[in-house]
Amino acid sequence: MSDPRDDDLLAAEYVLGVLPLAERRAAAQRAEVDGAFAARIAEWEGRLAPLDAATPEGVAPDLLPAIEARLFPAPRRRRWLWAAGAALAASVALAVMLWPAPPPGARLVAGDLVIEARLNGAVLALARGGPAAGATNDYQLWAIGADGVPRSLGLLRGESLRLEAALEPGITLAVSLEPLGGAPGAVPTGPVLAVAVLE
Amino acid sequence: MSDDPVAELLQRIARQDRAAFREVYRLTAPKLVGVLTRILVHRAEVEDALQEVFVRVWQRAGQFRPDRGSGQAWLNTVARNHALDRLRARPEGDLRRAEGDDPLATLADPAAGAEAGLVAMGEARRVLDCLETLDPERARAVRGAYLQGLSYQDLAQRHGLPLNTVRTWLRRGLQQLRECIER
Repeated sequence: MSDPRDDDLLAAEYVLGVLPLAERRAAAQRAEVDGAFAARIAEWEGRLAPLDAATPEGVAPDLLPAIEARLFPAPRRRRWLWAAGAALAASVALAVMLWPAPPPGARLVAGDLVIEARLNGAVLALARGGPAAGATNDYQLWAIGADGVPRSLGLLRGESLRLEAALEPGITLAVSLEPLGGAPGAVPTGPVLAVAVLE
Repeated sequence: MSDDPVAELLQRIARQDRAAFREVYRLTAPKLVGVLTRILVHRAEVEDALQEVFVRVWQRAGQFRPDRGSGQAWLNTVARNHALDRLRARPEGDLRRAEGDDPLATLADPAAGAEAGLVAMGEARRVLDCLETLDPERARAVRGAYLQGLSYQDLAQRHGLPLNTVRTWLRRGLQQLRECIER
């Protein structure tokens, strides 16, 4: 049992930034799975944010071309993922003929790992069954549209996640195993564990 | 919502809107350069970090909650966190110290006046007023940590005190700060 007062001071130290690397990383990881602790961090961020007001603007070079090149690489490089998605789309389309499926959803399966995705309006609800990603990895979710470009939806830590995402039925979802913190760039770097179409 | 254009743009980015992404860069990159420079100092690293920050903005815009603060504040937090992660991951004998400048010297409180002038509203003013109620050394340590990324290690060296002593000392200040802000 952790003392709530200690938790709150730890959250303050994290936001202030004084912690050494290992403790800083441990706190960040905890915030991903401990909602109460994450809320304390958000409170301290709110309390201290006014300190940023006096920071003068700097001169920003136009790095947009480089950033966009990283985030939106040419679609053809991702053809393998798209092809996997298309093949699955065909089998899911078949399945849809056999099962009535009211809210659009998808089931990502890789061995014991099962991730159920359900789209309710603009909210994608995810539930994980099976093994966690482990201490040095994260599961990362991707949406792949008709252009074949994967876009990160975020990390799936813990057993459930709700995220706001404007997704259309028919889009392909994928989950990859990434290093802790997720793929460093805009595309999956780890193995793609499962792909499924949101239908 | 229309009084926070950055927040609106972030919500569009969460829906994969690339035009909104370019607009957010145009509107906020200068401020984020300021935030990153405060902590990382070196121009090349600041530009590197700026790229990483905007990659995260694209990936994580869906996590922005407008009820918790402004769009700019969320971006500042993303930038500060990334800068701190970089700073803490630097090997011993960090770059800034290698240049021999005392990070606290440049902080000799030009901030106090500027902050007070900039932030006029009650809620936002509170942290600034409350810092004034702390013991001046503690207030300086809080500012130095938040604004420049000073670690417990840095503060211990600065004050010639053992690490644990500095930690207890600063935590006392944080407790007072919270009590004052929530009063």
